[in-house]
Amino acid sequence: MISFDGRALHAGSAAGRAFDLDSRCIDGPDYVSGAYANVCALSDEDAAIPFDQTEVQQVRRDALGWWIPMLGDTLVCVTMLALDESRCGGAITVTREPVDFGSDPFARLFPATLVRTDIFSCVAPPAGPVIERYAGVAWPGGSFR
Amino acid sequence: MDLQAGARFPDLDLPDHTGRARRLSELAAGDPVALLFSRGWFCPKEQRHLREMCALQDEFEVAYARMVVVSVDPPGEQSALRAGLGARFTFLSDAERRWLPQLGLLEESDTLHQPYRPTAFSLLPDLEIHRRYDGFWYWGRPTAEDLRQDMRAISRRVREDFERT
Repeated sequence: MISFDGRALHAGSAAGRAFDLDSRCIDGPDYVSGAYANVCALSDEDAAIPFDQTEVQQVRRDALGWWIPMLGDTLVCVTMLALDESRCGGAITVTREPVDFGSDPFARLFPATLVRTDIFSCVAPPAGPVIERYAGVAWPGGSFR
Repeated sequence: MDLQAGARFPDLDLPDHTGRARRLSELAAGDPVALLFSRGWFCPKEQRHLREMCALQDEFEVAYARMVVVSVDPPGEQSALRAGLGARFTFLSDAERRWLPQLGLLEESDTLHQPYRPTAFSLLPDLEIHRRYDGFWYWGRPTAEDLRQDMRAISRRVREDFERT
């Protein structure tokens, strides 16, 4: 879980609005200091969108199709933000270097805030799917293994 | 190397279309895989077949299955082909032909490009081969319907809750 107060990200739910994320992104071991996190989410408790809304699938298709490839080796990790089993609170893309965050497809869900942070670790980029594996498990996390 | 049904496919380690090092098992991530060896971007048969695979990708993406293409094209060319096709699945580049001789899939009739012979495999999540398709002749390649049937059979086998009786 992480929290976002509109300006900064925090591990855990200590400050601001709390979100579940793909836990691999904050579980280490390869933490990246001074990373750039494009937080497409709001601290407003009412800012939510159903996971089943087609635009949520479409931004993930765009992420798989060109956003993640465009980031290449600078990508640290990407995760959607879950509020509960049915509501999406946004997404975060984390990179080592500043990139063209203006193209971030997840910003179509919620406006983006760029944050410098040390809390994220490297996760191999997803190769699919475009939907959650289990209700409330933030994409691309989880596995059927 | 035994690449027939029942054998375990090797866990390929190759750069993807962005140049990032990947492993086949990592891409599978616990899901069934359609693994397609392709001559490369230049071949009109490959272009046609990959378009059919692109039409199928929407189903793979919501049905917890993966599609992976391997060719000897360098990552930059794969990226261009992938973008042109509108593909969202992963391409792996064996431009150095590191795995090609080990797999025994050299297209011997093309001495110019020395590419992979079109061959496809449907794989279980642990990379066991479910079915092999020899696509030297175009009609030997898997159709979308072939792969749907394979993914159904594999999912029935590996998803414990597939049948709700």
